[in-house]
Amino acid sequence: MKNKKLIVAVGLIMFVLIVNFFTSQKDQPQVKHKDIPEVGILQYVSHPALDKIYEGMIDELAKEGFIDGETISITKQNAQADQSKLTNMGQQLISKHPDVLVGIATPAAQSLANQTTDIPIVLGAISDPKAAGLVASNENPGGNITGVSDQAPVEAQVALMKQLVPQLKTVGVLYSSAEDNSLSQVNRFTDIAKKEGLQVKHYPVPSTNEIAQMSQVMTKEVDAIYIPTDNTIANGFQTVVSIADVANIPIFPSVDTMVDEGGVATVGINQYDLGVETGRMVSDLLNGTIKTEDTPIYIFETGDIIINEEKVNQLDIHVPVDLQEEVTK
Amino acid sequence: MITSTIAQGLLWSILGLGIFLTYRILNFTDLTTEGSFPLGGVVCVTAITHGIHPIIATLLGMLAGMLAGLTTGLLYTKGKIPVILSGILVMSALNSVMLFIMRTPNLSLLNQSKLFDILDDWHLPPYFNVIVIGLFIVILVIFLLMTFLNTDLGQAYIATGDNPVMAKSLGIYTDRMTILGLVISNGLIGLSGALIAQNEGYADVNKGIGVIIIGLASIILGELLFGELTMLERFIAIVVGSVIYQLLILIVIKLSLDTTYLKFYSSVILGVCLIIPEISRKIKQKQGGHRV
Repeated sequence: MKNKKLIVAVGLIMFVLIVNFFTSQKDQPQVKHKDIPEVGILQYVSHPALDKIYEGMIDELAKEGFIDGETISITKQNAQADQSKLTNMGQQLISKHPDVLVGIATPAAQSLANQTTDIPIVLGAISDPKAAGLVASNENPGGNITGVSDQAPVEAQVALMKQLVPQLKTVGVLYSSAEDNSLSQVNRFTDIAKKEGLQVKHYPVPSTNEIAQMSQVMTKEVDAIYIPTDNTIANGFQTVVSIADVANIPIFPSVDTMVDEGGVATVGINQYDLGVETGRMVSDLLNGTIKTEDTPIYIFETGDIIINEEKVNQLDIHVPVDLQEEVTK
Repeated sequence: MITSTIAQGLLWSILGLGIFLTYRILNFTDLTTEGSFPLGGVVCVTAITHGIHPIIATLLGMLAGMLAGLTTGLLYTKGKIPVILSGILVMSALNSVMLFIMRTPNLSLLNQSKLFDILDDWHLPPYFNVIVIGLFIVILVIFLLMTFLNTDLGQAYIATGDNPVMAKSLGIYTDRMTILGLVISNGLIGLSGALIAQNEGYADVNKGIGVIIIGLASIILGELLFGELTMLERFIAIVVGSVIYQLLILIVIKLSLDTTYLKFYSSVILGVCLIIPEISRKIKQKQGGHRV
């Protein structure tokens, strides 16, 4: 090798590695002295649902007396769906010796889980942590990970659909084939809806780009559209709404924000409440009142019934009186 | 933290080396990359979860990448589909192939053995197992590439990239060379994908988005920093470029800039790097006082 600059560069990298080799062994057990607890949050991507979780968590922490910048130091990283950056961001968070880490959405949580086995990790919005390989079991996590599941109350959702659309026969499920969380929910929905005597058709899309065409096709073939908790569809939801509107087909999403954006109704876990539950776990961990290994994954049993009045009128859907009383507005 | 960033740079550099074989030598922008990279990870992780040894699983990931490259090569040379389009077709189809292989969009390696666990008995400081294995593989890859390029076949391959018309007139089967290049290139990209999936602990069908930028970045940074080089030096420069790119990303994250806009920053970094040679050429011209 003759290029001097290159020799210097390679030499420099080697030097840094050798120095680190001899210093890092000593550094490991050392814990940095801190005045206030440190929390690191890794979010996979921004969209209304995930952002609400973050909001709810921060508010709940503040309520518990952990105010960012005063009694707690919160660092947030958002990978904007770029998985190649998750590891770097996770390392940055871990380098601050946080007391608790929070992973919002599956890839972020997996990336954190892969990087540390001793810092407690709280999962925000992971449908099935066991299926994602994050915990040994949802009841008894066993490691440094616990958290909140955003598993939707599918039974209640199917019941609501039948109540609002009594003549319902065929339901089309629109979801992204590239997301772990939706797949498990789609399978649960299919089982439950079939038991209830409904016909279920699947419409998976690889990305937001195929949503328009897929919606065109499905509105011709189904009586109603069901949408699981799905980041891809959430991003392209307006497309689905505009196409379903033309065909007069009701949309039943799983997430409350999607009802506001043009869905008919849902029994949803309020995303903000998910965040509140996540925040509560973080504060309990900071206070030392719970331990990750024996804290079960928090799963919401019931949810709020949310109805979009405007859509109901537009589609001429009759809302039974007893249901009207239950509705959360 | 610097250690782990260098470790990542090493693993990503194999992607850069793979892209170099097509992007620089053949003058191709091969978009198969964004499919063959996650494919390598998907095949490797699936194999490991089925109880296959990580070394073999990693090689299977590499093999899968080679098959992807072969498909692109056949579409381009035999099907006469433009190379960008062939790459896009294969990349896009691979999304379904990966879903078919994994049966789920995301598969975790938690509590499974990985290639990097082989060195557990050495009790190295954190991340040094990745450094040792990464260095070993990078050196091996560069050695094999150098050996290949110095054979008659390798020389014919380089000639094909330099001037396909002349290469053909010399009796070189340029189509075969092109296919060969795409196979080796995507094999390396698949290998890189398999290693990174093991380092990050999961495979995901969306992992390929934007990786071509990372590979090009290491090539461009290497060229920018070190200028005119021999072939061996260029390979080393790609590895150094890859490490430096990861360090730059680390700095951006460290500066506590809002990482929501990270893609913008990384594009700016790359854009600036691409423009610098042009600016310095202009300055030199002015100083020299003459135009060519």
